[in-house]
Amino acid sequence: MTATQFINPGKLGARRQSRLTKWLMFALFVCLAIVFIFPLYWMVVSSLRPEGRIFVDAMEIIPSALSLDTYRRLFEEEPYGIWFVNSITQTGGYAFMGVFLCTTGGYALAKFRFRYRNLLFILILVSQMIPFHLLIVSLFLMIIQMGMAETYQGAIVPLAASPIGIFFMRQYMLAIDDEMLNAARVDGASEYQIFWHVVLPNARPAIATLLILFCIEYWNNLLWPLIVFRKPENFPLAVGIKRLIDQYRQQYDLTMAGSTLATIPVIILFFFLRRQIMEGLATTGTGIK
Amino acid sequence: MLDIVKLSHRYITWFLHHKKVVPLVFLAPFLIVFLVFKVYPVILAIIMSFQNFQGIKSQDWVGFTNYENVFELVRFSQALTNTTVYTIGTLLVLIPLPLVLAVLLDSGRVIASTVFRVLIFLPALTSLVVAGTVFRLILAKDGFLNLFLEGALGMDRLRWLEVSELALPSLILIATWRWTGMNILYFNSGLVNIPSELYESAAIDGASPWQMFLRITLPMLRPTTFFVVVLSIIGGYQVFVEPFILYAGGAGPGDGGLTLALLIYRTAFTSFNFGTAAAMGVILALIIFIFSLIQFRFFGVLGGED
Repeated sequence: MTATQFINPGKLGARRQSRLTKWLMFALFVCLAIVFIFPLYWMVVSSLRPEGRIFVDAMEIIPSALSLDTYRRLFEEEPYGIWFVNSITQTGGYAFMGVFLCTTGGYALAKFRFRYRNLLFILILVSQMIPFHLLIVSLFLMIIQMGMAETYQGAIVPLAASPIGIFFMRQYMLAIDDEMLNAARVDGASEYQIFWHVVLPNARPAIATLLILFCIEYWNNLLWPLIVFRKPENFPLAVGIKRLIDQYRQQYDLTMAGSTLATIPVIILFFFLRRQIMEGLATTGTGIK
Repeated sequence: MLDIVKLSHRYITWFLHHKKVVPLVFLAPFLIVFLVFKVYPVILAIIMSFQNFQGIKSQDWVGFTNYENVFELVRFSQALTNTTVYTIGTLLVLIPLPLVLAVLLDSGRVIASTVFRVLIFLPALTSLVVAGTVFRLILAKDGFLNLFLEGALGMDRLRWLEVSELALPSLILIATWRWTGMNILYFNSGLVNIPSELYESAAIDGASPWQMFLRITLPMLRPTTFFVVVLSIIGGYQVFVEPFILYAGGAGPGDGGLTLALLIYRTAFTSFNFGTAAAMGVILALIIFIFSLIQFRFFGVLGGED
């Protein structure tokens, strides 16, 4: 038994483990990883099979014939490019608006005392429990009456006041040192200068995390955009893919290509910002899906 | 003229920097959106649940008629049963499996555990829409799962998407794929907080790994487990996109994949029966509210972070 093993005995406790268990464990996790990755692999492979070969070639786990033809059709026969651009602009708009509301609001909740603050905080937390399906009819009527149907504002604004987002920012802001803020006040800085020059730079990690999480959330969201948009030229990707399913029922090639392209940006983002995404998701709960 | 502009500008500046106004300025953007698009729609939905709609314009007060209709609806009781079975099913898989995997990954006995953690987590990043489309393909009659069952295990092909009894197992399968990595993450943050001294002294006392798991790990993980259970219940009762995509907007064979959220959506936007949809929404909210209260009761705010 070496000293390092004693300091870090491993949470299961066994200090002497046979090589066999180690390899068995490794094999188990390799199998598990294959099972979990397989559907994504299958999506990509199926999207690359030549037209009409998705089921015929299904026995070929590693395909013998590949074709990008489905992707060409996706852009030529369907407005996929437009959906992709819509997704980017709507996601960007949602993320920026959400982060703006949550950062300013979170700062107010964390660093100022005002009447009804605790009541408001509790109200925000309770609102987190409201299932979105309670709101779909009333919000639908509202955006129609407000003339916001078929608009980006209609898709973005009703989702932007995220309770979990403001909670996340508030928790982060609480840790900002009051002494630092007071020092700035003594130096004659106005409250808005303090927010811009002291608070924001200090909250940068939290802002970045929230921005990423909001991006993933809207990018993957189906329900609300599905209700707001009826015209295909306004769809974001999730709604567009839903339309592909409706149109092509038993033909899977276009939906697979569409799903692949919709997934790639998130995966790329994940590999650059893995730590922030995983830690962010772990602390915000499933409030952001 | 210029003086008035200057004066009003000065007054606005003074006002905006007033001690009592500053917090309101910071709060206002969130608060306005929150009140208009979160609080008001809830009240409106509750009002709508007592109204009967002809189109979206005219509405009459009908008392509890919508609620009575909902409870008489066969599809509602089926949706409620389906959703409950689905939620219990996901709990039976998505608590023990991620728990055990998290403990193994944390045990220091798995080579490259971070890599596995990431690979199992990847499905959690995909859109639920994508999860739905991919499993529509895999579960199809000639899809990969059937080929695998037939070729590797010699079983008969199953009509996953066409048999009512297979709807919920299919949905639970998707949930397992999609959420295992996420729940491992939750259990992992619970495991990190267990002081390693506990294991060290247990090891000195000669406890076996299995004993340590039962006597230390499980009890110490109880708060995390409870938290994940409640989150899973709340999420489970709201399941919508998976069946919606899997059955292409339908509810599956014999309504086998009909969930509460799906029924609400279809009542609202297929039958355009807003009053009834709102009443169903209120019932769903009450169910979730009860489980959330349990969470509050035991954890304070959002998993006891505050």
